[in-house]
Amino acid sequence: MLVPPGNTRTIHARRQQNLSRGMEGQKQSSPEAHWVQRVVIGRNPYITLIRIIVLVVTCLVVFKFVLIPIRVEGVSMLPTYKGGRINFVNRLAYMFHEPQRGDVVAIRLAGRHVMYMKRIIGKPGETISFHAGQTFINGQPLDEPYLKTEWSWEAAPRQLGDDEYYFVGDNRTMPMMDHEQGKAHRERIIGKVLL
Amino acid sequence: MMKWVVRVVLVLALLALAIWTWSYFFPSAETAVRRKLQEVARLASFSQGESVISKGLAINSLMDNCTDDIEISVDIQSYQRQSMTGKEELRTATTVVRAHLSSLKVEFLDLNIDVGPNKQTAVVDLTAKIRVPGEQEFFPQELKFTLKKVDGKWLIRKIETVKTLS
Repeated sequence: MLVPPGNTRTIHARRQQNLSRGMEGQKQSSPEAHWVQRVVIGRNPYITLIRIIVLVVTCLVVFKFVLIPIRVEGVSMLPTYKGGRINFVNRLAYMFHEPQRGDVVAIRLAGRHVMYMKRIIGKPGETISFHAGQTFINGQPLDEPYLKTEWSWEAAPRQLGDDEYYFVGDNRTMPMMDHEQGKAHRERIIGKVLL
Repeated sequence: MMKWVVRVVLVLALLALAIWTWSYFFPSAETAVRRKLQEVARLASFSQGESVISKGLAINSLMDNCTDDIEISVDIQSYQRQSMTGKEELRTATTVVRAHLSSLKVEFLDLNIDVGPNKQTAVVDLTAKIRVPGEQEFFPQELKFTLKKVDGKWLIRKIETVKTLS
């Protein structure tokens, strides 16, 4: 390429300028963190700290007030829920509607450290009875597709109050006497089991 | 400025220490009841290989936390409701339980304490978590304790099962 002699100085000057700019850029990024530090803490530690705080607060709020983590223990909900599994109780499930028949819910004892996990089979005002392996609601047989085995409980009809629900586990093969089941008030329902 | 900040922090720390010391040595009725029940849970629990002397001491200490006319009415799984009245009956039952079980772990959770207006009685609703050896799962039970203040000490007057699902 041919360059007029007068322009050579200009080109040199531009090169010099670019070089110095490049060096400045290098100087700015010279205290760049090691890649391990960048992965662990991030480019900006303050933003990372804020992110951590937001995440921790969100988790605390969600897992304390919305989705309560639980560990299933016992055999009364077999075969639907096996012991040792982790699950969650959705506390907002009944914000806009009342508990429904068939819902698996957590029922509090004195508090939330220990809760019963049962299925709702009776709603307020209904009459519940068991006869020859069949549940009856107001004298009509109830279809329970979640029960997989034969059972033979017998119990006389029981009338539920205005604010009462009837709870039973899915494992009806165990003796009725050993199976914690019965009626309780609506306020004892903590929430619906999520999974 | 820094000097003042240090002084204020020091004063606040001293104040917190004073409040903590006061509440430790002069607890509120609710705190005293809570401590008493935790102590009862500890005394009711026992582990394997306990000596005869420590067994006897634990039973005596447990009895010291009850009134002479204590009434107990609790559900025991697979059995009907068990009732007993008086310290001696309770002592016999405790001795029998200790003789039949190799260990027992009792925990009281979710204590809802309601102290009476005269501060002489208290009603506590709680969940008892009982773990027996050989059983994979624990026995949960909601219990109602009635306590009475006798000579400045909180003593258990009544224990009854609350049927969560009736």
